[in-house]
Amino acid sequence: MSKYQYVPEPALVKGDHDFSSLTRLVTDINLRPTPKAWYLCMIAANGLLFVMVAAIGYLIWEGTGIWGLNNPVGWGWAIINFVWWVGIGHAGTLISAILFLFRQDWRTAINRFAEAMTIFAVMCAGVFPAIHVGRIWVIYWVFPVPNSMAMWPNFNSPLLWDVFAVSTYFTVSLLFWYVGLVPDLATIRDRATDKIRKVVYGIFSLGWTGSNRHWWNYEKAYMILAGLATPLVLSVHTIVSFDFAVSMIPGWHTTIFPPYFVAGAIFSGFAMVLTLMIVARKIYGMKEIMTDDHMEKMNIVILVTGSMVGFAYMMEFFIAWYSGVEYEKAIFMLRATGPYAWAYWAMMTCNVLSPQFFWSKKLRRSVGFTFFISIVVNIGMWFERFVITVTSLANDYLPSSWDYYSPTIWDVLTYVGTFGLFFTMFLLFLRFLPMVALAEVKAVIPLADPHNYDEETKEFEAPKVEVPKPQAEKV
Amino acid sequence: MNDLESTDRQMSEEVKETTYWKSLNELANNKEYQKFAEREFPENATELSDGVSRRGFLRVMGASVALAGLAACRRPVQKILPYSKQPEDVVPGVPLYYATAMPVQGNLVGLIAENHEGRPTKLEGNDMHPASRGGTSIFNQAAILGLYDPDRSQSPLKNGDKASKADFEAFAQSHFANTGQRIAFISEANSSPTYNNIKEQALSKFNNATWVTYEPFGEDNVVEGNRIAFGGRLRTHYNFENADVVVSLNDDFMSSTHPNSVEYAKQVSSRRKVTDTDGEMNRIYSVEDSFSLTGSYADHRLRLKASQMEAFTYALAAALSTRINGLSAFSGYSNEFSDHKWITVLADELAANAGRSALSAGSQHKPEVHAAVAAINNALGNTGSTVHYLEVPHLDEQSSTEAFADVVSEMKAGNIDTVVMVGVNPVFNAPADLDFENALSNVETVVNLSDYVDETSLKSTWHVNRAHFLEAWGDGYSFGGARSVIQPQIRPLHEGLSEIEFLKTIVTGSIESGYDLVRDTFRGYYRSGFDNRWTNILHDGIDTTGNFNDVNVRLSSGFSSAMNRATSNISSTSGMEVVIRPDATLYDGRYANLGWLQELPDPMTKVTWDNVALMSPATAEKLGIEEAGAGQDDYDVVEITVNGKSINIVAWIQPGHVDDAITLTTGYGREGIGRVASSYIDYTAGGVDVYPLRGTDNMLYASASVSKTGDTYEIACVQDHHSLEGRDMYRQASISEYQENPDFASFATVHTYEVPGMKEAEEMGEDDGPISLFDEQTYPDHEPQWGMAIDLNSCFGCGVCVIACQSENNIPVIGKKEVKRGREMHWIRNDRYYVGDDADSPQAVHQPVPCMHCELAPCEQVCPVAATTHSDDGMNQMTYNRCIGTRYCANNCPYKVRRFNFFNYPKEYLTTGDDPDIIQMAMNPEVTVRFRGVMEKCTYCAQRVNRAKIEAKNETGSPKPADGAVKTACQQACPADAIYFGDLTDDNSEVAKMKRNERNFQMLEELNTRPRTSYMAKLTNPNPALA
Repeated sequence: MSKYQYVPEPALVKGDHDFSSLTRLVTDINLRPTPKAWYLCMIAANGLLFVMVAAIGYLIWEGTGIWGLNNPVGWGWAIINFVWWVGIGHAGTLISAILFLFRQDWRTAINRFAEAMTIFAVMCAGVFPAIHVGRIWVIYWVFPVPNSMAMWPNFNSPLLWDVFAVSTYFTVSLLFWYVGLVPDLATIRDRATDKIRKVVYGIFSLGWTGSNRHWWNYEKAYMILAGLATPLVLSVHTIVSFDFAVSMIPGWHTTIFPPYFVAGAIFSGFAMVLTLMIVARKIYGMKEIMTDDHMEKMNIVILVTGSMVGFAYMMEFFIAWYSGVEYEKAIFMLRATGPYAWAYWAMMTCNVLSPQFFWSKKLRRSVGFTFFISIVVNIGMWFERFVITVTSLANDYLPSSWDYYSPTIWDVLTYVGTFGLFFTMFLLFLRFLPMVALAEVKAVIPLADPHNYDEETKEFEAPKVEVPKPQAEKV
Repeated sequence: MNDLESTDRQMSEEVKETTYWKSLNELANNKEYQKFAEREFPENATELSDGVSRRGFLRVMGASVALAGLAACRRPVQKILPYSKQPEDVVPGVPLYYATAMPVQGNLVGLIAENHEGRPTKLEGNDMHPASRGGTSIFNQAAILGLYDPDRSQSPLKNGDKASKADFEAFAQSHFANTGQRIAFISEANSSPTYNNIKEQALSKFNNATWVTYEPFGEDNVVEGNRIAFGGRLRTHYNFENADVVVSLNDDFMSSTHPNSVEYAKQVSSRRKVTDTDGEMNRIYSVEDSFSLTGSYADHRLRLKASQMEAFTYALAAALSTRINGLSAFSGYSNEFSDHKWITVLADELAANAGRSALSAGSQHKPEVHAAVAAINNALGNTGSTVHYLEVPHLDEQSSTEAFADVVSEMKAGNIDTVVMVGVNPVFNAPADLDFENALSNVETVVNLSDYVDETSLKSTWHVNRAHFLEAWGDGYSFGGARSVIQPQIRPLHEGLSEIEFLKTIVTGSIESGYDLVRDTFRGYYRSGFDNRWTNILHDGIDTTGNFNDVNVRLSSGFSSAMNRATSNISSTSGMEVVIRPDATLYDGRYANLGWLQELPDPMTKVTWDNVALMSPATAEKLGIEEAGAGQDDYDVVEITVNGKSINIVAWIQPGHVDDAITLTTGYGREGIGRVASSYIDYTAGGVDVYPLRGTDNMLYASASVSKTGDTYEIACVQDHHSLEGRDMYRQASISEYQENPDFASFATVHTYEVPGMKEAEEMGEDDGPISLFDEQTYPDHEPQWGMAIDLNSCFGCGVCVIACQSENNIPVIGKKEVKRGREMHWIRNDRYYVGDDADSPQAVHQPVPCMHCELAPCEQVCPVAATTHSDDGMNQMTYNRCIGTRYCANNCPYKVRRFNFFNYPKEYLTTGDDPDIIQMAMNPEVTVRFRGVMEKCTYCAQRVNRAKIEAKNETGSPKPADGAVKTACQQACPADAIYFGDLTDDNSEVAKMKRNERNFQMLEELNTRPRTSYMAKLTNPNPALA
């Protein structure tokens, strides 16, 4: 016995799965006839989507005045929802890119899922900056399009950085997601029996044959995109935070915003992945792929990022006092004790207190409790954006201008409506695309790594691999 | 000699003939058109009931469409057709300016009207007119909206049915042929000599006629008080410029509700212009029940119930009688106030400043109070220096209040055949106990001339639509006695009659031109050289001759006994009392349909679109009234009962209000007079009519019982937070502190350290402010650099800057609902803060806040599309066409001066009603009307600046206008001259001098936004004895 005992990682996929059983488990969902329940869900989601479209239609017809905005508070629910959705959209790319680079194999069970969620969340987020402007018909002026006015956008404006950051993030996330999908689409294509599926999946699998060359290209592309996506995970929310941090409103103008926003985004994104995963794995019987171990790992991330966010809250308070700037001091006192104290304490409870339960291993592994906390966290994160956006504007420099902001029914409907967009897209995803990165999961089951240790003695034995000499390539 | 006259007449005829027409038919004076215009419904509309055929229906439709087209067409000729012969001096696009004058309660304020191709668009003060001296009140500014108010009465009405001017003429001819009938003329106060000549003619023609003047808030008691004191019915006219000490006993003489507010505000504030530490200031004391503008401007303020003011006045007179001669009537007298600290202080102060002090009392206080005040002023030797007593020819011999009551009782008794009412609305605003409406029903024929189809018009046999003062010739005197001619700016939009034309029609039976009537009057004044003098009067807007006589007064023999009676018979109330005052923005209700005034926040409460019951915090606590919480617009309603009559009205906590008293304001609660004053879509003007609580025996105050009803009501208030929170946007010091430490307002003094980044900037060799992250704009040398300084020591918060700006810059009225949602559009606002530790009696300070035009503007940095940028002359400009409406600029503005068009406000404002073209004529053609979804804000009146720059460049080759050539609308209107604007590159410009003054400070200087608008710290002049 050596001094150090090798403790193998717990198996990432539970149960006695081999390649073909995994294939069936995942792709049967896409190949089976559509279940009735799916249609019911789709109708509900489409109903909400219609609410969003109607609310936006009325907004464009009538003007931003239908929202509860007023003179000091020029940004309300629209911007809150934008930041909230973008924040949620952080988990996917973090899981697939950063955890990929860190060789966290457990990510394989949830990355497809999380990336899909990311893309849809960013779509929901993207709705808001576009519609919240007063004159939506000239929104294209924010893009640097050559024009007869000889006007460029103002490159000093964080809103413009936002346009670039979010659109880049969306593009890269989409590409990354799609590249990862290619081998799995090919799997479905190969299993499909009807013509339409064969053709459609065939087109989207880009002629994948599983050849060595394909795999080589795939791995490289995936690696490069992961490398590209990684800084974006950090940059998007950093730049979103600049919308606030670069301006000069007390409570906004702070340097802590970028890391604090990124931590908060990961926090909320993981919570959202958990919410969706707990439901989906139950319905689709994927508990063996998306195991309680996954849930626990994600809960640890939530605990860590939640504590970071809590630390940031306290640091903001400390710096407000330490800076001696009276407006900063006042806004933080007002947040905790002023007219919006209810929102502040809702935020504190949901974001700082609730994740602390995850110090307990038992609670970390409790499905019901995790589901509950994952929702609480996202409520808390919504309130965080509310507190940041609204309270700072409502009580800034001149007390004469202070006013109170309350949303109207149209604010609420637009927000609720974006869930329609999100779930419509998500249901389509669940129905037509493999929700688990099949090829990657297959690579992390023991079957993919057959000779690393002796099954009988359980002793580790380094595999002896003979590296073939490189051969000159024939041209 | 007669050439000029005839040309004049010819020109006026020409103007009359060509300015306005509705359609080609009307121009052709087509008979069919006349019939068509006079019919309420188009031909066949009434025939529809007998069997609807499709053809008949189509005919109706066609006619209605044609009618709609005709009704909407009221464009000036100049706009439709090019001038076939261009009139001399008219350059399209270049406005002309004419002198005119606005009568308010018969007192003229000289104005200059800006006229764009025959269409007046803006009124400004006339520098040469003593009652204006360039300043205006909110009512003067809003008059332009009154002219174009589409709800003004548009035709005569006979028993409520539409009639024509000719019909009225025919009626007048026949009805008033009977000269023996018993006629009562009820007129508003009118100083017009022409009008008063016709009045004499009327009274001599109709031998059974009586004439009374009725004003709900007239100066009758002052005049009567002067009669008691001096034996003659005289007007008190102050000259506060000579007063070192001003004591106001419940007299809000600076607020626009005072008939001579502009002149008084000029005078009082002129004595507070301190340019260096050697400067001296007057000292103002205010004793009042409710917080008034004068009270907020005063150095010392005492809360006292209105009912106690009389006793207080006599106690002051008694205290003074031991110090100066001439008040023997009060010697030995004492009452509960005799030991009051203020009595001693005021008596000492007045005695020490004899001849250089002024004591005034609120016009609604009893005549005896005014008699005592007059006697005190006279004993102090103030007569002739700070106080003048004027012989006003048009004042009635009898007290108007009594005369009016007598006439009403005659009417009730059925002793009156015909009532002719000129400009008055007694059904709405007469004292409730007279029951005027009932009295009117006993009169056979009621003829009424009014601007709107108001409460009285509805009860009249004949209503005649009145011509606006900008539509008709007129004349009159200012409060101080300066004579002017009112020049019309446009032909009557609705063919209305002016009051002189109306009265003349009644006397002679035929309509005569007001122009001729006024000219005849003035011809009577000038035996020779009439034409030249007439031209001069029109040009200058002032006649330098014919002022009121300044009377040298002596105490009358009956004064002592009158005072003895008064002092032994002091009326006062115990317990809760209610005081009724004219509203700060709607006055007695005559301005109720002007959206600008409805939406102008009350200067003290900042409430819009409603009147409220003001009470002190202690009284509110007693009644169980609580302030609405954050975000709540629902306020408690109280029931107020006076003499068995009660109203329900919202309670409002007014710090500084006297305890156990409630102040109500008039003018609200109108029904049916117009779409603004009445409920109409989003323009839900609220408020309560408080006149039912007012009786002849309690015109000012009455005891009342008040209770909370438990109901709530929504109020649109534009300022929710009243404390400065210890912040330093507003800086002030006493004048002695200023003399000791002239730099008291500088950032370093206030914060005890330099502005952050200043030292670093100096190290880097920069001298224009702290270091900046952003590239600083470089301004070309040949351009002027605009800047503004606002002297907080002059501003008293009247809000005329807001209305002037609204008029100049086409700012929409958005309605109560939108104001309630916090979306007010005013480009300049007046912040009011309460200062001081005493919550019951705080100091109130006013701070106008327009755009600061920051050199390092935070708004510019964050706009994603560069819609707001800097101009070469240093203005922060808003490009509406480029704005996409992210509102980021407004968020990032630390001064919160940017305003967003959440809806298409101008559309609602300018296109509702049957005749939207009329209201559109009020718009300034030089300023874009902003569309929905764009940001807007103060431009420093860029249109005025650019016009002056172009003129300067044409004349001198340099685009730098001479100092004073550009005045922003707010600056021009300000009666206190609180706003300075000009070129900062000119070292000798007024604004540059102000900016070099020690009192100059920048709001939020530490943010390094480098505002071009700065403030001059306020100074107070407290009496050490009261410290």
